[in-house]
Amino acid sequence: MEGNVAALAAGLAMGLGAIGPGIGLGIAVSKAMEALGRNPEAAGAIFVPYILGIALAEAIGIYALVVSLLLIFVA
Amino acid sequence: MPEEEGESLIHVAIEAEELFQLGPLSFTNSMVGALLTSLLLGLAAWYITRRSSLVPGRLQSAFELPVELMSGIVSASSSRWRGYVGLILGFFLTILVANWIGLLPGVGTIGITHIDASGHEAVIPIVRPASADLNFTLGLALVAFVMFVYWGIKANGPDGYLKELLGEPLYMAPLMFPINLISEFSRLISLSMRLFGNVFAGEVLLATMIALAPILIPAVFLGLEVLFGFVQALVFALLAITYIATAIAEHHTTDHGEADAAGADHPTAAEPAHA
Repeated sequence: MEGNVAALAAGLAMGLGAIGPGIGLGIAVSKAMEALGRNPEAAGAIFVPYILGIALAEAIGIYALVVSLLLIFVA
Repeated sequence: MPEEEGESLIHVAIEAEELFQLGPLSFTNSMVGALLTSLLLGLAAWYITRRSSLVPGRLQSAFELPVELMSGIVSASSSRWRGYVGLILGFFLTILVANWIGLLPGVGTIGITHIDASGHEAVIPIVRPASADLNFTLGLALVAFVMFVYWGIKANGPDGYLKELLGEPLYMAPLMFPINLISEFSRLISLSMRLFGNVFAGEVLLATMIALAPILIPAVFLGLEVLFGFVQALVFALLAITYIATAIAEHHTTDHGEADAAGADHPTAAEPAHA
């Protein structure tokens, strides 16, 4: 039974934890595409901050993943 | 994790598994992956420098592509890029190869069978991609951490670095110092966790997909993982560049003011990437 509760918690942690990064990534990508559409020459200048931004947003999702992995394997 | 029936199809182990004992050390399968990575990179470097020409052939162009990409980004980051371009390139290539080794056929599937403590038969893969082991990514992040603290101290002096940690109005220092200290160390955690999480999640995803639908479907995810492996290597290198560049750039703002810093950075952006 205990194992099942940990699995449920892991699933919830990952599922709920993916909402925020998902929204954030969506905003980042949509704004980057918008910028690219307005000014295609700026692709080089947009690329590096874009990758950095999505990496930082994605890190939150990774934290959720780490928590759920801890729940499955350690707790 | 409680072992259930039918679960043996999906092999998931969060930590690297021991292959054999080497004196007091246990030799794990991610060490094999790391050794394979260094071997591949060393062989590629040796081969390509031995017979490189001014007009690159097809193979040489392929090897020059990632180097050109990274050196272009590094040289635009700050005026002292020559000091850390080697480190950043090393990070990028090591992580790229370490990630992509996990996608080779046989990695993670060919292994030694053994009976574990609970009596189940389990397979220990001989090779595990090095970046799916937290020890490896934490090691890389530690190197990056030491480097950006080193560059911060080198650019600002020890007192300048300490002043940066204490924060701007000195009376706020009791509040700002712990926050700044935590933010410095959170870089270490997030750098290592991001890489490990992504690569490990990719491994789990591939294993699950192969167990669910062995034909055709995993190919899609393999393609995705090729992209993710590249992006994660790029992200690690980019973040390392950004941290080092900000550690250096703080020097300009404290010494000459904002306008001068912007002016001082201009000639570097115009500099050729492959000087």
